Amino acid sequence: MLKDNLTKALAPLGLEKVADGDYAKTGYHLEVAAQPDQMAGVAQAMLDAGCFLESFTAVDLMESFDLVYHFASFDELCRTAVHVPLGKRKGMPSISQIYPGADWYEREVFDLFGIHFFGHPNLKRILLPEDADFHPLLKDFGATQGND
Amino acid sequence: MIELYGIEEKTYTLNLGPQHPSTHGVLRVLLEMEGEFISKAEPVIGYGHRGHEHMAENRNYQQFLPNMGRVDYLHALAYNQGYCMAVEKLLGLVVPERAEFIRVITAELNRITSHLLWFGAYLLDLGAFTPIMYAFDDREHILDLLDRITGSRLTYCFYRFGGVPVDLDDEFITGTRAFIQRLRSRWVDYDNLVTKNVIFINRARDVGLITKDQCVKYGITGPNLRGSGIPYDIRKSEPYSAYPLFDFEVPIGSKGDIFDRYMVRLQEMEQSCRIIEQALDKLPNGPIMAEKVPKRIKPPVGEVYQAVETARGEFGIYIVSQGDVKPYRVKLRVPSFANLSLFPELAVDTLVADLVAILGSVDVVIPEIDR
Repeated sequence: MLKDNLTKALAPLGLEKVADGDYAKTGYHLEVAAQPDQMAGVAQAMLDAGCFLESFTAVDLMESFDLVYHFASFDELCRTAVHVPLGKRKGMPSISQIYPGADWYEREVFDLFGIHFFGHPNLKRILLPEDADFHPLLKDFGATQGND
Repeated sequence: MIELYGIEEKTYTLNLGPQHPSTHGVLRVLLEMEGEFISKAEPVIGYGHRGHEHMAENRNYQQFLPNMGRVDYLHALAYNQGYCMAVEKLLGLVVPERAEFIRVITAELNRITSHLLWFGAYLLDLGAFTPIMYAFDDREHILDLLDRITGSRLTYCFYRFGGVPVDLDDEFITGTRAFIQRLRSRWVDYDNLVTKNVIFINRARDVGLITKDQCVKYGITGPNLRGSGIPYDIRKSEPYSAYPLFDFEVPIGSKGDIFDRYMVRLQEMEQSCRIIEQALDKLPNGPIMAEKVPKRIKPPVGEVYQAVETARGEFGIYIVSQGDVKPYRVKLRVPSFANLSLFPELAVDTLVADLVAILGSVDVVIPEIDR
C-alpha cells in the first residue's frame, strides 16, 4: 500500500509527525509535519513514490505562516498533507527543482503572502501586477486596501 | 530582429494576447521566436484576478456560494458541489440521497455543456467554423433545461449546504431524456464533420504530446491526463456524491497528443449521458434538503480538503476553519493552473500555428486560473 510505503520512505528524515489522517473528516490519509529545511527531502520521497503535487498554499497565522503541501497519487487513493511552520520574515527552500509544477504555486504564494523561496528560478509576481506593493492574503491587509 | 542582409539571425519576441481570440480569455503569452519556431513561451496570467480567496475570508460561508459559479464559469456546478461538500464535511452534514442524485444529474449536464463549448471553440481556433454551430445548437438545449431549475444559464449558484433548494419536475426529466436521445443521434454528425476529417487528424496527430512523467511532475489532471493514458478520474478514483452507484467508464488515450485529448472529451460526453440516464432511472424519492441545517453556519475548528472532477480536471478546495462564521482561509486548487504551467514545456520548438492548436487542446479557462 502506498500509505505504508510513504511512511517507510519518510521515516529516515526524522520528521516531527507522520501520522494517519482522519479521511472522513479532513480528506487526508496521511498527515505530516516538517521543518522548512526538511521539505526538499519530503518532496523527493513523494516524487520517488509517484505522487504528484496537488496543491500548495500558505495560511497566515498572524505570528507565523503555516505552509500546506498536498500530495496525491494517480495510482492509488492516498492524500498526504504536509504542514510546514514558517516564521515571519523567513524564507523557504523552493521545491521547484524537484516538482517543476511547484514553480507557479510558489510564485503565487510569494505574490499573495510575500514569502520568499530560495533557489526558485523565476520568483516574481504571478497574479497581481508587477508594481503592486502589497500582499493581499496577509491578515493585516484590509478588505478595502489596494484599491487606490 | 532579423537582419535581412546580414548573416546573423537573432530571436525576436512576439506578444500573443492578452486580447487574442484563441487564448480564450485574457491570457498573454510572451513568445521568443526563431523564425516560425518558438524557443521560449512564457504565459502571463492574472489579468482577471478578482481575489476570490481573499473575498472568502471577508464573508460568511453562505455569502461565498455565488463566487463558486464565477471561478470556472463553464463548469460552475462542479465548483458549487466541491465547496458545498467541503463545508458539509466540516459541519458533519449528511445530504439526502435524492439531493445527491440531483447534484449528479445537473453537474453532468453542465459537464456536457463545457465539453461542447470546448469542441466548438477549439475547432474555431483551428479554422473550422461549422462545428461551433452544431455544438451550440446542442448546448442551448441543456442551458434551457438547467435554466428551468437553477434559474441561470451560466454562473450557477444552485447547491446549498445540506442539499439542493429546488426539486426536479417532470418537464425537466422528460426534457433531459429527450435531449440525450438527440445528442446521441448527433455523434454521427460530429464524427463525420470532425473526427474523420483528414485536415483535423493531420493537425492533431502527434502534436502537443504530454508524457506521463510530465503529468506527475506538473500535477496535470482531467482529460489532458487521461489523454496520456492514465485512468485517473476523481469520480472513480476518489468516489464522491452518488457516483459509485452508477456504471460508467473512464475513457483514456494512448499517446497523449491533441487527438487523444479530443477523443477523451468526446467519449466523456457519452459517459456523462450514461450517468444521467441511470440517475434518472434510479432517482429515489425523499427529501432534497438535510434536516437540521443550521441557519448560522459556524463549523468547528479544523481543516478539510475536498476534490471533485470538473470538465478540466481536479478542483480541490482547502478550507481552514477557526470556528468563526467566516472561513479563515480558502484555497482553490484549480485544474487549469497546473495544466497551463506545463505549457512552456509543450510550446518549445513548435510552430506558431501548432502553438495555438496545443493551447486550445489543453482547454484552459483563464478566469479559473486568475481567480
